[in-house]
Amino acid sequence: MTAPVLELDDVTRIHGSGATAVHALRGVSLTVAAGELVAVMGPSGSGKSTLLNVAGGLDTVSAGAVRVEGTDLASLSRAALAAVRRRSAGYVFQDLNLIPTLTAVENVALPLELDGRRRVRSYALAALEEVGVADLADRYPDEMSGGQQQRVAIARALVGERRLVLADEPTGALDSETGEAVLALLRRRVDQGCAGVLVTHESRHAAWADRVVYLRDGCIVDSTAYDVSPGSLETVR
Amino acid sequence: MAIRHGLLALLDEGPAYGYQLKAAFEERTGGTWPLNIGQVYTTLARAERDGLVAQLDVAADGRVVYEITDAGRHEVARWFASPVRRDAPARDELTIKLAVAVTAPGVDVKALVQTQRSETMRTLQALTRLKIDAADRPDPESDTAWHLVLERLIFDAEAEARWLDHVEARLLRAAASTTSDRTPAPDGTDRANQGSAR
Ligand SMILES: Nc1ncnc2c1ncn2[C@@H]1O[C@H](COP(=O)(O)OP(=O)(O)O)[C@@H](O)[C@H]1O
Ligand SMILES: [Mg+2]
Repeated sequence: MTAPVLELDDVTRIHGSGATAVHALRGVSLTVAAGELVAVMGPSGSGKSTLLNVAGGLDTVSAGAVRVEGTDLASLSRAALAAVRRRSAGYVFQDLNLIPTLTAVENVALPLELDGRRRVRSYALAALEEVGVADLADRYPDEMSGGQQQRVAIARALVGERRLVLADEPTGALDSETGEAVLALLRRRVDQGCAGVLVTHESRHAAWADRVVYLRDGCIVDSTAYDVSPGSLETVR
Repeated sequence: MAIRHGLLALLDEGPAYGYQLKAAFEERTGGTWPLNIGQVYTTLARAERDGLVAQLDVAADGRVVYEITDAGRHEVARWFASPVRRDAPARDELTIKLAVAVTAPGVDVKALVQTQRSETMRTLQALTRLKIDAADRPDPESDTAWHLVLERLIFDAEAEARWLDHVEARLLRAAASTTSDRTPAPDGTDRANQGSAR
């Protein structure tokens, strides 16, 4: 068996110290394999974004370990960690985070360019094509709808050979049809062999995942696996 | 009256045997509500008594072909034109269980809510999987009815999950207001705030 793409091993994250310390994560363990999409649900402040941030190497743990494709992120130099963020882990932020002075294709190409790769435009165009907005390649973010920007943000998270996609409320500001299209996209990418973590507060969106974990006050309190066969539908209702 | 009217609406499209009606009903509703054939014959017999259908023909093997009457057609039109009434809430086991649990001593309501939430999520996952499979079929047009049924079930399950979130938030608020005068939350976090946010 190959190593899981993402492993959180008894991860604790404390923001601040002393009387004002906030335990955003307390001993969270979570494994995500290639081809698996895991949804994380929980009320506001339960630690969902912190979980994604430590998983993507954007934040460091106070205790425990995060491994991406078997490599402990804490063992990496700053430069090596930045390389993981550009190459292995794609991140879709809660607030999109497209760079307003770059076109769609330039936004998508940015991580590759920073990585010193060549022919970045063709890779970026392929990623835009995959999410169905290749025709918008030369538009700036403010010339696109929210749904179109979200697709571009996802293309940026998928570009190259990313094995891990982390999405924080990627359907937040979208109407339900566009939200579903975004989920279908994530789902397809995961079915092609990525590992995915999706933070959402909508159960209909979490239901696209293979497994749903529930966070409360920084702890995983429960999780479901997809183990209901369609044939048992008659018994559900 | 859903079965009676559903069968009438099918007969409105042309005469049929009981078995054909059963098959058509199940196909058109995506197999979600299987009928037994006895139910179909009983329904047809009552509709015949009420003058909504009539026997058109009896085959050599004794099978009866039914056709709709003018009164039946009228009834179908009325059914499509009127809303479904919701005046008597269905007796729902989960609602009853939770209502009893919140006042019963020694029941861990939070655990009950979480157990149910996971179960509801499994239902949603199964339904969503069916929806994805349906969308992958080459001719999604013919599956529109099935899609509609699925989405209805998805909305139902989603509503249940939201209700469970709401129940939990309420319980947390109530717990916070009864303990806050005595002790602060052990971890120094704002529990009331976490409970009420979605
Ligand atoms: N940089 C930070 N400094 C201090 N506290 C933080 C910081 N980031 C998050 N927190 C706190 O950690 C907890 C978890 O936050 P977060 O992971 O953003 O939750 P969620 O995404 O589920 O809403 C909250 O109580 C939040 O206020
Ligand atoms: Mg968040």
